[in-house]
Amino acid sequence: MNIFPLKINNLNYSVNENTILKDIHLTCEKNTLTIIAGNNGSGKSTLLKILHGLIKVPINTVRWGDYSTSNIKINQSMVFQTPILLNRTTYDNLAYVTKKKNITEKFYVEKIIEKLNIKIISDINAKYLSGGERQKVAIAMSIIGSPKVIFMDEPTSQLDPAYKNEIENIIVDLSNNGVKIFLTSHDISQIRRIGKEIIFLDKGKLIYHDCIEKFFKDKHCDLVNNYINYG
Amino acid sequence: MLINILETAFNLIITLNDDLFEIINLSLKVTLSALIIAVSISIPFGAFLVFYKNKFQSFIVLIANTLMGMPPVVLGLLIYTLVSKKGIFGFLDILYTPTAMILAQTLLITPIVISLTYEEIYKKNKEYDLLLNSLNLNNFSKLKTLIYECRYALLTVALTGFGRASAEVGAVMIVGGNINHFTRVMTTAIAFETSRGSIELAVALGLILLLISLLITLLIKSLRKIS
Repeated sequence: MNIFPLKINNLNYSVNENTILKDIHLTCEKNTLTIIAGNNGSGKSTLLKILHGLIKVPINTVRWGDYSTSNIKINQSMVFQTPILLNRTTYDNLAYVTKKKNITEKFYVEKIIEKLNIKIISDINAKYLSGGERQKVAIAMSIIGSPKVIFMDEPTSQLDPAYKNEIENIIVDLSNNGVKIFLTSHDISQIRRIGKEIIFLDKGKLIYHDCIEKFFKDKHCDLVNNYINYG
Repeated sequence: MLINILETAFNLIITLNDDLFEIINLSLKVTLSALIIAVSISIPFGAFLVFYKNKFQSFIVLIANTLMGMPPVVLGLLIYTLVSKKGIFGFLDILYTPTAMILAQTLLITPIVISLTYEEIYKKNKEYDLLLNSLNLNNFSKLKTLIYECRYALLTVALTGFGRASAEVGAVMIVGGNINHFTRVMTTAIAFETSRGSIELAVALGLILLLISLLITLLIKSLRKIS
C-alpha cells in the first residue's frame, strides 16, 4: 500500500465563518520529518487533525497516494500536545491500544515497553506519571501497530530539556526507521535540530514549504524572520 | 423518654426482631430490584445519548433532568391511575403488590440515573474523544471504553439512585398500600408506626435507614477517591 506522496488540493476549512485554513496546496514525500510551524492560531493543529481524519474535509482535498484519509487511518496515529491516557496503568494503556488494533502477537506490549525504556513506569497508573513520562507513554501508544505516519502536536512543548532531548531522540529514531512524522512546533532550535522539511502557516495560509536548510538560508518576510529570531 | 425509646429501638435491632427484619428485608428487595432494573436500562441509555447527536438528544436530556425532581407522590398517583382496576394497565393486577412498588421506585430513579450517567459519560467523552477517534473506534467500542473509564463514577450514580429509592415514601405508600407482612417497607412503616404512636419500631427503622444512608455516603466518598 503506497500512501505517498501526500497531496493537499485547495484545502479550506472554516468554523462559524472563521477561516482556519485557506487555499492550501502542497505535496509531501515519504521519509522526511516534516515540521508544521507558524504562530498561534495559524492553523497548525487543525491541519494535523485534518490530515489524520479527526476533522472531516471533502474527500478529494487530501489524498494519500491513491487513497483517502479514511482508507489509510489504520496506518496513522497521533500524539497530542497534552497526552491523552486512560485511567489505567502504563501497561494497560498500551494493552488497550494493542487490543483495539487487533494485534495478537505475544509479548507485543513488553516489546514496546522495552523499546521506549518505560519498564520502570509500566505498573504505575497514568494519572501519577510526570508530564515527560506521560508523553513517552503517548508516543509508545502511537507506535503500536507500526503506523506509516505519526502526527505529533507540539509533543515537547511542556517538557523540561532532559525529556525534550529524550523524546526528540525517539522521534528522530522513528523517522530514520521510515515512519513519516508530521510535527508541529514553536521551538526554532528544535526545528533546526530535527526537521527535514517545513510547512510554514500564517493565519491559515501556506506561506512556505521546502527543506529546512533552505528555510534557514532563504530571505523571508518580517513575520518569518521574527519567528526565526524569537522562536 | 427519648432514652427509653432508643433503648427499646436498639433492643429490637439487637434481638433481630422478626417484624423489623421482615420490613428491612422487603425494603431491600424492592429497592435493589428497582435499582438493578433502572441501572440496566439507564446506564446504556444515558451513555448512548452522548453519541446520539440530534435535536432529540437535548430534549431527552432536558426531560430526564426535569423528571429528576419529580415529587414521588405525583409519580405514585400517576402509577396508581395506570395500574388501578380502571386504569389502562389494570389487567396486570399489580396494585398493592411489591411489583407496583418496584415499578414506582424504578420510574423514580430512572431519570436520575440517565441524567447523571449522561453527565459522567459526556465529560469523559470530551476528555477521550480525540484519542478514541484517533484509534478509529466505532461508537460501540467508544461506549464500552467510556463506561469502563467511568466505572467508579457510575457506581456512585447507582448508589445515588439507591439512596433516593430507599428514602422514598410517597409513591410506595400509594401503590403499595403499606399492607402488613406484604408491602410494608421501612419508610411506610415509619410513617405508619409514628401515626399510631408505636414510636420504638419507627425509631429502630429510622436508625437502620440512617445507617444505610451513612454506608452509601461512605461508599460514594471512597469511590470518588478511587475515581
